[in-house]
Amino acid sequence: MRFELIDRILERQPDRLTAVKNVTTAEEYLGDHFPGFPVLPGVMMLETLVQAARLLAEGEADSPRDVAWVVRDVRNVRYGQMVRPGQTLAVEVTLRSRDDAGCEFQGKGTVEGQVAVQGRFRLAPLAPAPG
Amino acid sequence: MRWIWIDRILSLDRGERCVAIKNIAAGEDVLFDHFPAHGDRPAQPVLPNTLIIEGMAQTAGILVGHANDFAEKVILAKIGRATFTADARPGYTLRHTATLDRLDASGAATTGVTELLDPATGEATPLATIELMFSHIDHNRAGLAFPEHNFVFTSQFMDLLRDAGVK
Amino acid sequence: MAMTQDEVFGKVQEVLEDALGVDDDEVTPDAKLVGDLGAESIDFLDIVFRLEKAFDIKIEQSELFPENVLNDPKYVNDGEVTDTGMEELRKRLPHADLSEFEQSRKVEDFSNVFTVDAIVKFVQTKLG
Repeated sequence: MRFELIDRILERQPDRLTAVKNVTTAEEYLGDHFPGFPVLPGVMMLETLVQAARLLAEGEADSPRDVAWVVRDVRNVRYGQMVRPGQTLAVEVTLRSRDDAGCEFQGKGTVEGQVAVQGRFRLAPLAPAPG
Repeated sequence: MRWIWIDRILSLDRGERCVAIKNIAAGEDVLFDHFPAHGDRPAQPVLPNTLIIEGMAQTAGILVGHANDFAEKVILAKIGRATFTADARPGYTLRHTATLDRLDASGAATTGVTELLDPATGEATPLATIELMFSHIDHNRAGLAFPEHNFVFTSQFMDLLRDAGVK
Repeated sequence: MAMTQDEVFGKVQEVLEDALGVDDDEVTPDAKLVGDLGAESIDFLDIVFRLEKAFDIKIEQSELFPENVLNDPKYVNDGEVTDTGMEELRKRLPHADLSEFEQSRKVEDFSNVFTVDAIVKFVQTKLG
């Protein structure tokens, strides 16, 4: 299974991006979360926001994938509505600031108009492996 | 990809602390996409920090659930704060230590420290601090239809507890 | 040694900044926890836990946030709080200013009652 959570980008500006992630029974991890009651795990909602934000962090650079952006800090991420197979998580991420320490984002995910996840996080470039 | 982000429970002190580990293996699916080689840059396999948060959530969730003998459906409601200072690469082990701060009928709050262990030397490096809140959903989710039985604590978790000799 | 109103406000500010991830200039006395500071229901539990720790007091969730009144058919009729309901709320929440809510009575508007100032007053009554 691939670790690719952004299915389709809807709108893109330098500091804001909206996208969707479909949830389908074909995603094997749902069999464990939970057996008989599959729901998108909260951290996968966060990872969807992160993957959307990564697209903004990479920005308009000529060779965006040279830098691997990883999560350094997560703040006040709250979970609301659950997302079930057959539903779609719509995400919106906004770039709040960019400095030497990385990029600060605000993100929100909704399902059928209800908030499923919201919070803030920071991405920074991955340091190369030691040695 | 399965959804179990801890391999073994090392200890569980009822209502206080739970320690669990997860090995990071090069063959894990998620590492092939996180991150693949691109241009001149070689592949950089690192476990996504969101999945490390999940490992801590599973460790802390077991601590919270066990404190009430698994009578409650314990689900992650809030990540208060998670800060990462190192990266988790294959051939290393994560050790999650979750401490229970508060527990009541509505839910619980936990603080956690994740370390990166070098299995070759035994050396431990701090990797993350993770503060979480859990809800007991029977109390807090009137109107949402979910099964009666406790679907949260699956056989995967109960097997880990059994293997650790936890009552 | 009793705490002054300013000291209580300062600590409440810190609690709300940590629980809600907001800046101190956003935490003004009139700020509404839900409308202005973006609090969700899990945040109310977080706030109760942190207030207990910060002030070394014991708080029942329903002392501060009376969900059991708002869900009780004795006190609510068709999404609006009845006269008996209002009396019950006044009794339970002596620290809150219910005058604005009195105009609407709608359950969905109740969260507006929780201002930073209401929390400060609540802590002061607990500290005695």
